[in-house]
Amino acid sequence: MSAPVAIHIENLSKTFGRFRKRIHAVKNLNLDIHAGQVYGFLGPNGAGKTTTICMLLDLVLPTQGDVYIYGKHVRREHDVLRRVGAIVEHAAFYNFLPARKNLEVLARTGNHYDPDRITALLAQVGLTDRARQRVKGYSTGMKQRLGLAAALLHDPDLLILDEPTNGLDPAGMHEIREFIRDLVDNHGKTVFLSSHLLGEVEQICDRVAIISLGQIVREGAVADLLAGKAQLRVEASPLDKAAAVLREHWTLSTGNSQWMMVNAPREDVPHVVRKLVEHDINVYEVSSQRQTLEQYFLSVVREEVSGD
Amino acid sequence: MINLFRAEWSKTTGHRWVTSCLLWIFPAGAVGFMIIIGLILALSSSAREEFAADTLLWTDQMTGVWGVPNSPFGRLLLLGFTAVMFAGEYQWHTWKNVIPRNRRAALILVKFVTLGALVVFAFALMSVIIGLGMGLLVKMAGGTYGPALTGEVLGDFASDYTRQAVLAFVSTIIAAGYAALAAMLTRSILGGVLVGVGLTFAESLLVGGLILIAFFLKIPNVLHLYRLTPGYNLLNVNEWIVNNHSLTIELPYGDNQSIILSDNLAFSLLLLAVWVVGLIGLTIVLFRRQDIASA
Repeated sequence: MSAPVAIHIENLSKTFGRFRKRIHAVKNLNLDIHAGQVYGFLGPNGAGKTTTICMLLDLVLPTQGDVYIYGKHVRREHDVLRRVGAIVEHAAFYNFLPARKNLEVLARTGNHYDPDRITALLAQVGLTDRARQRVKGYSTGMKQRLGLAAALLHDPDLLILDEPTNGLDPAGMHEIREFIRDLVDNHGKTVFLSSHLLGEVEQICDRVAIISLGQIVREGAVADLLAGKAQLRVEASPLDKAAAVLREHWTLSTGNSQWMMVNAPREDVPHVVRKLVEHDINVYEVSSQRQTLEQYFLSVVREEVSGD
Repeated sequence: MINLFRAEWSKTTGHRWVTSCLLWIFPAGAVGFMIIIGLILALSSSAREEFAADTLLWTDQMTGVWGVPNSPFGRLLLLGFTAVMFAGEYQWHTWKNVIPRNRRAALILVKFVTLGALVVFAFALMSVIIGLGMGLLVKMAGGTYGPALTGEVLGDFASDYTRQAVLAFVSTIIAAGYAALAAMLTRSILGGVLVGVGLTFAESLLVGGLILIAFFLKIPNVLHLYRLTPGYNLLNVNEWIVNNHSLTIELPYGDNQSIILSDNLAFSLLLLAVWVVGLIGLTIVLFRRQDIASA
């Protein structure tokens, strides 16, 4: 039995500005995100990620369409947002207040003030020793950690995190990744996160959606998306002749004067070698390459931008 | 609501630089003023004699403090304070932490309540400092500081003090309403201050403008618009409470031609309520319709 749907997005659109300054930030977005997973939301700058996140949180009114969280319409049944914790764009705080005071203010504003929970969360994000220091003196990474603590203040079921590891050093990023994964695997949370750091997304997310120019262009389990883009690295001589032979059967992607990438699964390796040998081409290497999410993302975005 | 109020109080008073410069400056200024006068009295015997000769009343000293929020300097600082309270959240990007949207109405309401509470607290404190401090100074100079504390004096003082405080409070809330609305529209502290000052200034100039319109365009009835302004109604309420009759204002619009404005207490109270509720309501409606976070 599949997990319940945590987020259901239906024909969501947002247009900013009027007349000649009109910008279609998000166009007819449809998405279902099931509970109990880390869901990645990827896209280049200006693709519409933050606008979508703001509409999920009812911070921005959609021009058209609906958002449901745990089956409840976010605009008509606002209170469902009490089940959501979020960091939008970057964690923002009252810089003139200490970290602990900031969390107290946020907890009281949300009417879920619990001093013990604040203490525990500060410890969880590693800020206990700096809790009484004003946020003004915090690094970006420390603010991000505090942002995570703020998002978790009311123990939400769903976390919406926009670039949660922004400004963190590699060790901090690793720590936060583990933290997020733990929230999902051991505490039953659902995490919807947007990130530019594709290596991070690949490591942490179960599924991803790629948004480009306001539209979802790919969506699926990370493993499935990458498996569907299997490639072979072919090193042969003469390479241009090899390319001409292989192009008759497969599509080619990147390469240089020494080697090229052929879009073909591992099972095709013998056929590739056979074709090359039949045409009297010297083969030095044919190896199966696992595409990274970054390569996949870049190829998808390039395709979309060029309109292929 | 209590939690929301405590949150608002914490973050407002936590911004020490702003509250010190724009709010606590009033009681602190009163302390400074007392110290300066004290030094002058300590150093100059003629100043002591002059000071002792003045008949100072603690009732007047304490009540007079409530004129400060309506003075140009007081109004400017309080408009600045309001603008920081409302527009600061845009500049600090902290509005986006307010999820869900239905918390927004309560939050705006609490901002006005907190602003009102802080203003009342600051000026009440200032009036106590002035009242006690002046007594001390009069004693230093060897003068008398009346009136004597009797039941009747206390009763009169309480009603006079409350009246002045309430009128100052209402007037401040209306001016803060202008600044808050401007701050929400411009999403800028400076914009909030400038538009707030502009609107307050425009209100005080309105009567002159209306007289000119009535005179040059021969539309005398336009002068009745002055009856809708908060300033006129505050004066009228004050007149009713103090003298038990309406304020009578004669507005000329030509040679030997004028219109006399005079309204009952209920009219002015209703108008003031409409201004207060209207400005706060408009700020809430505007905020609830706003998209938060840049896109």
